[in-house]
Amino acid sequence: MSRDASRVAAEGIATPALPVWLRHPGAVAGLGLLALVLLPALAAPVLPLADPAQTAPAQRMLPALSAGHLLGTDQLGRDLLSRLVWGARASIGVGVLATVIAALVGTVIGLAGAWLGRWADALLMRGVDVLMAFPYLLLALAIVAALGPGLGNAMLAIAVANVPFFARAVRGAALEIRHQDYIAAARLAGHGELAILAREVLPNLAPTLLLLMTTTLGWMVLETAGLSFLGLGAQPPAADLGSMLGAGREFLTTYPRVAVLPGLVIVVLVVGINLVGDGLRDLLDPRWVPRRPGAGLVATRAAGPVATRAAAPVATRAATPAAAPVATPVAHGRGGTGAACADDLPLLRVRGLEVRLPAPSGPVAAVDGVDLDLRRGERVALVGESGCGKTLTALSLLRLLPAGAVQRGSVRLDGTELMALAARDLQALRGRRLAYVPQEPLTALDPLFRVGFQIDETRRAHGADTALATPALLRLVGLSGVADLPRRFPHELSGGQRQRVALALALAHGPDLLIADEATTALDVTVQREILALLRRLCAEQGRALLFVSHDLAVVSTLCDRVLVMYAGRIVEDAPAAALLRRPAHPYTAALLGATPALGRPHKALSVLPGAPPMPGTQPSGCRFAPRCPRVQPVCHAGEPDLVPYAGRGEAYQGQDWDEGRRVRCRLPLEDEA
Amino acid sequence: MSRYVVQRLLLLVPVLLGVSLVVFAVMALVPGDPALAILGPYATPERLAELRAALGLDQPWWRRWLGWLGGILQGDLGRSVSLERPVAEAVLERLGPTLLLAATALLLGTVLGLAAGLLAALRHNRATDRLVTLAVLLGISVPPFWLGLLLMLLFAVWLGWLPASGMVTPWLWGGGAGAMALTVDVARHLLLPSLSLALVAAGVIGRIGRGAALEVLAADHVRLCRARGLSARRILLVHALKGVLARVMPVIGLQAGFVLGGAVYIETIFQWPGLGRLLVDAIAARDLLLVQGGVLVLASAYVLVNLATDMAQHALDRRTAAA
Repeated sequence: MSRDASRVAAEGIATPALPVWLRHPGAVAGLGLLALVLLPALAAPVLPLADPAQTAPAQRMLPALSAGHLLGTDQLGRDLLSRLVWGARASIGVGVLATVIAALVGTVIGLAGAWLGRWADALLMRGVDVLMAFPYLLLALAIVAALGPGLGNAMLAIAVANVPFFARAVRGAALEIRHQDYIAAARLAGHGELAILAREVLPNLAPTLLLLMTTTLGWMVLETAGLSFLGLGAQPPAADLGSMLGAGREFLTTYPRVAVLPGLVIVVLVVGINLVGDGLRDLLDPRWVPRRPGAGLVATRAAGPVATRAAAPVATRAATPAAAPVATPVAHGRGGTGAACADDLPLLRVRGLEVRLPAPSGPVAAVDGVDLDLRRGERVALVGESGCGKTLTALSLLRLLPAGAVQRGSVRLDGTELMALAARDLQALRGRRLAYVPQEPLTALDPLFRVGFQIDETRRAHGADTALATPALLRLVGLSGVADLPRRFPHELSGGQRQRVALALALAHGPDLLIADEATTALDVTVQREILALLRRLCAEQGRALLFVSHDLAVVSTLCDRVLVMYAGRIVEDAPAAALLRRPAHPYTAALLGATPALGRPHKALSVLPGAPPMPGTQPSGCRFAPRCPRVQPVCHAGEPDLVPYAGRGEAYQGQDWDEGRRVRCRLPLEDEA
Repeated sequence: MSRYVVQRLLLLVPVLLGVSLVVFAVMALVPGDPALAILGPYATPERLAELRAALGLDQPWWRRWLGWLGGILQGDLGRSVSLERPVAEAVLERLGPTLLLAATALLLGTVLGLAAGLLAALRHNRATDRLVTLAVLLGISVPPFWLGLLLMLLFAVWLGWLPASGMVTPWLWGGGAGAMALTVDVARHLLLPSLSLALVAAGVIGRIGRGAALEVLAADHVRLCRARGLSARRILLVHALKGVLARVMPVIGLQAGFVLGGAVYIETIFQWPGLGRLLVDAIAARDLLLVQGGVLVLASAYVLVNLATDMAQHALDRRTAAA
């Protein structure tokens, strides 16, 4: 979402006259370096340079800035500058030629592999495999050894040694193209295979090929220089940069300049080529976003992936000042003031929680002022459509938002303000008092480690002596019957088993609050019911609080005491589960219920709520649900309603006030129509 | 042994056969008629035919290849013209120093590259990251032979800290020096040549490692390790590092190819008594059997290293499917 959006925005802002590659600093630097070597090399015949092969024994090893010799002379009195320019010309020429030959032959082989069918493909690719089993330099060396030294043979050897690389890459790209619709269309139109290859495949292959050539040109130059360095390439009096280096080696201690300078030219040339190659790769990559002056830097940084250690301090730094007005500056330790009044304080108290995501036009609030209380042992559901901010809310309770997202507000666990905690203290809470079970258990388990290892390290994270023993833990989540489980890898388990392991990891230290983020969504229905039953039992038996995030109201009804309905970053309804399910007050809750299939009522007509929640940053000024609300009135557009107590009809249900503590964010809540 | 290991070992047979076929085919590229080259232009047709039969040149190519292969299996790589001794003997004698050089370079390059890549990823888009990115770019753009010359010039010629050439100080060898003194001496000789190769390998490994580390550190399963209360250090050094290693392992295998091939330059510069220098000398002397033998042995070593890195990758990540 944000990447495409920011790309579009960035292009909109940029001056249209500036070509896109000019905004890639690497590519610009690369072109500059390349020009530094390439332009003189191309212009060598017309430049006023001395004859590079003209020896003058009397003038050998003249220092730089000598009369007529800007960079001095070499061991035979030849002008060094002239030799560098002509040598670079030879090196570039040979490198380019080798690249073109390797690309041409490789393309033919790769296309043949992709087009000629299974047997030809298998044969060609095994051949390519065998050639790739050689260190390429060695293959080139063997070829030159057989053909005899010379710049032409060296070029040919390097080209041959690189053919397999091109063949494999082209085959891969061509196979992809082969399965495209337009190829099938061309066939149906009666074009022959060769015509299709020429007209459809080659043009589509061209960008890949160009990229491959640019990225390999650097190697090719280095490799041909290497062969020349060994005396197998350019033969005197002809010279390329490699052979100059090789010949200058003898004078390294006395006149280092003669060997060092040709190498320096190679480095400048190859750095330039590689920078241009990288730039080209970025420019051909649709995901690449050009850097804008000023704001662009921030956006790139924010969009970058998380670094474990770097992310936490950044988030803290960004969040703390904003949180300060809300948060009490004193951080309570466990057993401090917070524990003293634990009876009247809820286990979790969240106030004014806000999560901002980076966007091209500046940060937008995806979670916008959420308040919630969770009592000890209470099971609360947080429901809403995808994109309402449920997962961000859940993650922000642990302060585990993805990089770039910034949270504000107050999150207190037992009176301890989590927003004010240092990274180390926060780490001491995570997994021990607060635990998290994600939607996809594969994201909770590292695929590279055995299940037993991950259980052990989690148990040891806060001291294994306070943690449940592994067998007890496995029994708790109903995995004790699985033979050999600790020795297995996550991918060797079924989805249900994985989710049970994820639960076991979360429960290892008997947390006070378990946050389950769509923890059953990825499972099939029977497994889902088992896990739900397990969750219910675990919380009921051990007095553990549960925040159950889900988009599915049917699942919620069997598990939770209370339901919070979230829409567009806000809580819109907060009600006891029974009351909410029977008599929703907010039209959005009613719409969600209408879209939920009910067990035992197969003929219930499912209504679909059209549209989607507004993207963060694009919320309407009035009620956020108004644009989709079936009961919308003009008054709904006049400012956003607050989350206010909702009295309902004050009926009693199982001896309790049916609507106790109920709140709704709607000016025209649904009345009981029965 | 797991099925994967057995499969990989079995796969080794066709690959090595293929390698020998390629080496054989390349040597068949030699222009002209070997018999004519040996006997000179005035030989009679009868003598030429006789010599061709003796050299096996009248046989079809596959029979000659099989014959050569049979010899290899018996440890016979032919006789070197320039050294006047069996090729196998000369090659094996030089293999040790080359493997020592290549292994040291690969190890150094891997450690340096991984450290640089991880560091850059941790400091993503900050000064350290840019510095590493620049160093890595230089690493992949520098000719190893030039780097070797610069290192030699700086540390051996100007500063005089390290020896400029050879593998041991001659008077130490066989001079009754202790094993410890000898090891230190070889290590001092080894440092510059292996560093010349390692810095280039580190460039490639660091480049791939940085990308892999960025990917791994952002992956949910690594990020969510924090939800379990694991320390940042543990997440980095256990979870992220293993993920990065698993991704970088094939590149380390490729770099083994670079290091084994690059040994040719570096051994020439530093007068390292290895197989690479033997090859250069053999090419200069047009001693084709020696070239053939040396290339075959180095290529086989590379195949074996790649087998090892494939297996290491499989050990790191069991999801890797068998080929």
